[in-house]
Amino acid sequence: MFRTLSHRTLTGVAALAVSGLALTGCGGGGGEPAALETDEAITLNYTFWGNDDRAGRYTEAIAAFEDEYPNITINETFSDYPSYWEKRQTEAAGGGLPDVMQFDFTYLREYADNGLLLNLEDYFGSGITTDDIDESLLVTGQLDDGTYAIPTGYSAWSVFQNPGLLAEVGVEPYEGGTSWDDYDAYMASVTEAGGGSVWGGTDYTQRIQDLELELRQDGRELFTEEGELNFTQEELVEHWQKGQDNRDDVTIPQSRLEEINPVSGFGSSLTTSEMSWSNFLGGYLGDSGAEEITIVAPPTSAPDVKDLYRKVGLMQAASATTEHPAEAAAFVDFLINSPEVGEIFGATLGIPASSTQLEGANLEGPDKAVQDYLDSISDRLGEAPAAPVSGYGSIEQTFWTLGKSIGLGAITPEDAAKQFFDEAAVTLGN
Amino acid sequence: MATDSAHAPTSGSTAASGTRPADTRRTGAPGTRRARNRDNVAAYIFLSPWLLGFIGLTLGPMLISLYLAFTDYNLFRAPVWTGMDNLTRMAGDDRFWGSVRITLVYVLVGTPIKLAAALAVAMLLNYRARGTGFFRSAFYAPSLIGASVSIALVWRAMFSTDGPVDGTLSFFGINLGGWLGNPSLIMPMMILLAVWQFGAPMVIFLAGLKGVPAELYEAASVDGARAWRKFVSVTVPMLSPVIFFNLLLEMINAFQIFASAYIIGSGTGGPGGATNFYTVYLYARAFQDRQMGYASAMAWVLLLAVGVLAFVLFRTSKSWVHYAGDSK
Repeated sequence: MFRTLSHRTLTGVAALAVSGLALTGCGGGGGEPAALETDEAITLNYTFWGNDDRAGRYTEAIAAFEDEYPNITINETFSDYPSYWEKRQTEAAGGGLPDVMQFDFTYLREYADNGLLLNLEDYFGSGITTDDIDESLLVTGQLDDGTYAIPTGYSAWSVFQNPGLLAEVGVEPYEGGTSWDDYDAYMASVTEAGGGSVWGGTDYTQRIQDLELELRQDGRELFTEEGELNFTQEELVEHWQKGQDNRDDVTIPQSRLEEINPVSGFGSSLTTSEMSWSNFLGGYLGDSGAEEITIVAPPTSAPDVKDLYRKVGLMQAASATTEHPAEAAAFVDFLINSPEVGEIFGATLGIPASSTQLEGANLEGPDKAVQDYLDSISDRLGEAPAAPVSGYGSIEQTFWTLGKSIGLGAITPEDAAKQFFDEAAVTLGN
Repeated sequence: MATDSAHAPTSGSTAASGTRPADTRRTGAPGTRRARNRDNVAAYIFLSPWLLGFIGLTLGPMLISLYLAFTDYNLFRAPVWTGMDNLTRMAGDDRFWGSVRITLVYVLVGTPIKLAAALAVAMLLNYRARGTGFFRSAFYAPSLIGASVSIALVWRAMFSTDGPVDGTLSFFGINLGGWLGNPSLIMPMMILLAVWQFGAPMVIFLAGLKGVPAELYEAASVDGARAWRKFVSVTVPMLSPVIFFNLLLEMINAFQIFASAYIIGSGTGGPGGATNFYTVYLYARAFQDRQMGYASAMAWVLLLAVGVLAFVLFRTSKSWVHYAGDSK
């Protein structure tokens, strides 16, 4: 009767701990590179995050793979992004990561440095064809001693707009790539015309990507080469304070956003614009039900600086402990290079990194719009930052959570910045 | 057993009995020991599923988490002993203290309200009237489903801007807006969700009320006591063991709040950390930030804190809980 919380929580926490203790340090090399000559029936586990739309596409892609390799069966599972990583963390601790996984650049270093991922380089030329993969994208999966993931494609930071909603409130769209003041003025005029039911946008200072963009416009990165924060606590306070005027009168109230979470303000057709990664277009179309969504360049304070970059988002990786590394590599290769997969996914995993897949994708409609956007900002595309530091996922989340708390008035920018630096110090192990 | 019991003065309980006649002990000693051992073995075999579960799933993990509480453990690498670091860090962790604060508010405000509601409804349902059976089930139902994910989602929808709650309040001229995105209205909303699940303590109160002898009320009436006086002087003292039991149970329960807070706060303790309850924060540290050592330390601090509170409750109970048949 008296089941205490502590009991149950401890049991859970500690059960994981046990498996973690027993299995830490396992993992490592992977198997011998080998061509697929076995006819033995093999099952590979594959997992990804996403929505139903993506799940449908994966099911198709997997069917195509199984046609080509009749002896391999792929077991697929999927979940949403936050719980996806919660599951992977515990599996990683227990030594039971799925054979092949949709992966995120954000977590690459964390997992690869801990010996959890298969070195795919062992299969380059014997299972994985890299000739058609854009070299600058391929290297993003490279850490010191190997390649641990291969990007499916890329995207870039961008401003999305909903023309239908803009027409309703009678405001001209933001033209893109001009000054921050221009963008703020655009948002203000929408909010004014929206009369409390439509807003011009969301407080962009709450995303770490916005800070990154501003730092890059200043010729800097978020992190130093040593993996430490490359900005000061005072600068962060300033960054968050800068959003105060917008938060007061212009952007959608954070309390409203809390209610519609996990859908964003733009996804709920409550704002006419939002900044995000360009591959979000498909998701936005689905969420908002808008007929058309346009995509333009983010504002800049330094038009001649290469502040944007091609961001590798989704990647494919294999577990270091897979029993069938060659088959896992073959599946990764298929997901990356196959024109058929390109046709199935279009640009929903980013603009395909592999030229064979890009050809197969035959981009049209919204996918084409994303590609046109990426072409249009080629002058602003600079070098991508190094692979995120270990713990970046949690740092990014902390930043966002604090940014939202500021929007709610639950914390001052000063206190939030202090908390962020305390957290980052723990996460980065200082 | 059979041969043994033939010599025994009373059959049945002899094997385990230490007070058998001397002659039996002398002549039947080897057989008795064997029988006793056999009984013990049988007992342990029957106990073994529970024992295995207890040692493997509760005791072992608890001890390991006690060890982890003094380490830095990120799940991927072996734990590193850091002594009291987790505890000192906790002492200076604003989010930790924030979570302690809101959890205490929730427990200390929510539990009494919930018990008061449970007792009030139990007293209403204690009257013999048509349909009480139905109402008992109806009032009990929320406590069966209250902790579920779907209810948390329904709660989210109900308390949104222009949701049923906001709509109703606006109709009466109270314009609070949506509660869900408002850090200062989230706590009342969470407490309402808890109070709404008063069914379990209500049923226990009902059982307790049935046990209050009617002659006490009659005697009170004869002495001229009115309803309130009867409640204070008869019902409450007679119910005090049940109140104590419910209080302890519900308090411990309230500390456990997780699922509804996790869902309503989107797993991040939102809005503005207002749903960052102790367990939500513990979970985030363990599974989002992979700080298992810190999370283990938090779990033990909670265990000790709840233990201390329960101890204090037990100590104070001596002065206000009256058990029937007490000589006092």
